[in-house]
Amino acid sequence: MAKVIQRRSLTLLERSYLWEIIKGMGTTFKHLFRNFKNPEKMQLMSYPEVEVQTPQNYRGSHRLMKRPDGEPRCVACYMCSTACPARCITIEAEPSSDPRIEKKPRKFEIDWLVCVFCGLCEEACPVDAIRMDTRKVAISHYTRKEFIADMPRLLNWDPKDFPANDAQSQKAPGGKQNQQAKQIWGLEVKHS
Amino acid sequence: MSNYYHMPKLPSADSLRVTINVDGKDVVVPGDTNLIEALRSVGIETPHFCYHPHLPLSGNCRQCLIETEGPRGMGLAIACYTPVRAGMKVATPASSPKVAKARKTVMEFQLVNHPLDCPICDKAGECLLQENYMQAGQGESHVREDIGKQYHGAPEHRFEDTKGQDRGGKDIDIGPRIILDEERCILCDRCVRFMRHVAGDEQLYIAARGDHAFITTFPGKKLDHAYDLNTTDICPVGALTSKSFRFKHRVWNLQHTPSIDPTDALGANIWIDHDGGTVYRLMPRCNSDVNRSWIANSTRAAFEALSTNRLLDGRLQGKTVTRSEALRHMMEKLQSAKKVALVSSGHLTLEDNAAMLSLAGVLGPRAEVFGGSWLPVAKPDGIALSGDPVPNRRGVSLLGIADNLDQLVSRAAEFDVVLLAETDLWFADSKQAKALEAIPNRLVLSAWDTASVKAATCAVGINAWAEVRGCMVNIAGRLQMMQAAPVSPVDALEPAWQTLSHLAGSDWNEVIEAWKFATGICSPLASIKYSAIGSSGLQLPPSGAHT
Repeated sequence: MAKVIQRRSLTLLERSYLWEIIKGMGTTFKHLFRNFKNPEKMQLMSYPEVEVQTPQNYRGSHRLMKRPDGEPRCVACYMCSTACPARCITIEAEPSSDPRIEKKPRKFEIDWLVCVFCGLCEEACPVDAIRMDTRKVAISHYTRKEFIADMPRLLNWDPKDFPANDAQSQKAPGGKQNQQAKQIWGLEVKHS
Repeated sequence: MSNYYHMPKLPSADSLRVTINVDGKDVVVPGDTNLIEALRSVGIETPHFCYHPHLPLSGNCRQCLIETEGPRGMGLAIACYTPVRAGMKVATPASSPKVAKARKTVMEFQLVNHPLDCPICDKAGECLLQENYMQAGQGESHVREDIGKQYHGAPEHRFEDTKGQDRGGKDIDIGPRIILDEERCILCDRCVRFMRHVAGDEQLYIAARGDHAFITTFPGKKLDHAYDLNTTDICPVGALTSKSFRFKHRVWNLQHTPSIDPTDALGANIWIDHDGGTVYRLMPRCNSDVNRSWIANSTRAAFEALSTNRLLDGRLQGKTVTRSEALRHMMEKLQSAKKVALVSSGHLTLEDNAAMLSLAGVLGPRAEVFGGSWLPVAKPDGIALSGDPVPNRRGVSLLGIADNLDQLVSRAAEFDVVLLAETDLWFADSKQAKALEAIPNRLVLSAWDTASVKAATCAVGINAWAEVRGCMVNIAGRLQMMQAAPVSPVDALEPAWQTLSHLAGSDWNEVIEAWKFATGICSPLASIKYSAIGSSGLQLPPSGAHT
């Protein structure tokens, strides 16, 4: 049921507008004098000299997660490119060289000019291979081609940039083969 | 145990109609078939795995359970093996919770050890197990999760995966064109029955027993047959997948365009599966009167030519020129010619050949139309190949064009211009074609950079078979239509009928204009509209057929 909002008619003082303008200017000058008094508390950021700090769950540019041996976790299932409303993800698959893994991406490209940063790709991913938690929101390049992020670029991230409690980001890259994967990711399956 | 199974009886247009009672309602269905087909005729789909309309009945998957009335009241029976009987009572899940529960339980058993491979399985999107799960399954599993999936197939294929689970039977090279995944197999034995009854060469069998059974080939042998890729189509899960399509694309991204086999005169019905201007595969299109559900591996491979060695522009004296330059040269030569030989082609549609006849009409007595092919004709194999590599040979003769290429060779000196359209005479018989080199102007329309293009004085590229709309008449006199898939490598390319109409000065823009011309000059085609041809073709009356 629709909510009906009663419109309040303006008073004579409000209808004159003059008093309301004085009130508004008062707010402006209040902030002006406050900022003069202690400029370090100013609600202003001199971007781009100062980087914007976005929260950890802010959807920034993408990264591809890695297996412990440094290979991409992606299994090239095309779920992200299927879910993508902007159709900015291009995947080409190939058989994996590891006999226990069937499929891996040969090409994984995201066109950041086309991307709408909706996050449906990371929602769709069945193996947590794509994330948007890099907090990098300002992507700037000189040519259109540079905006197409390929697999080496998406895999190029530093564990130091991610919180300490994010085990997959902290311990995933640089480990030794898949033996560690089971322990780190808690994927050990108990046989009875 | 005998290997003899019954073939399912399929309903036809003249089936006896009987009344049966489905879910308390009387419906009229074909009386000479099984319940799956009868229920399908009234719009009730029954989930099934092992049943296939063109394979012998097996009845092993038990997914198509319905309830029917027997001497002891209503009881469960499999719909695929239950014949329709007038007045019988049938209950589907719509009225019977027992049937719904039984199907759900069967589905649960199918999934006990089926891996959760869907994201990386090539079958996902066209998988019967997925479809039937959405219809009949969606139940909770009673299997203990801490045990997980267990692999019971061939012991030598067992391994522990990256998550430490018991897996096996992955990526097994079962033949030159097919990969087997034992773990995904649900043992419906469709592939075994296909090889035994349709291909006639029993190369697959089910080894071991019970839960440990798995599909394999005979020791030391490989799955290798001219029709073996059909097993990948009929496989209801991703157990048998083709190597050529492996990991190429996901099937839900593919668009399907109906077409017909361009490599054989039987005109097997096919789907062109394409996406973004690329053809990824050709799949059989079911037509009970032509190829049933089967196509040969050679038909399936026909799409590879669409992206190789194409003639995308013009050639003038061996040099590459634009299409318009080459066309202008052709037009000049045709106008100044004293005697023109036009060579029609059984590789082109009726519309293309009609456009050639219209060009002959414009040129008047200066032009003579030749037809035929030098390609060798093999024997029919009784499945989906007639052996004749010229798909529209019957259609060309229907248009009144005689099979007289030999006359062209013997009378080559009479002509000063010869126009070939998509008929590669220099490839088919280079010795005989040598005589045509006496003709000073050899004009060729071709989709590929063939031997004839190299021997031509002027050549121009046209659209290939997948990119044009048109009709062909198969070896049995069946008029069939191929639709145009949007896969032309260059936008500037035109179908042959359009290029020929430019040369004739008539500038047809729509294929229907070429079709109207064809129906005007050919009495068996008279008054046939495109809408009358339909997806499964139109059998032309035998009286109108020229042989």
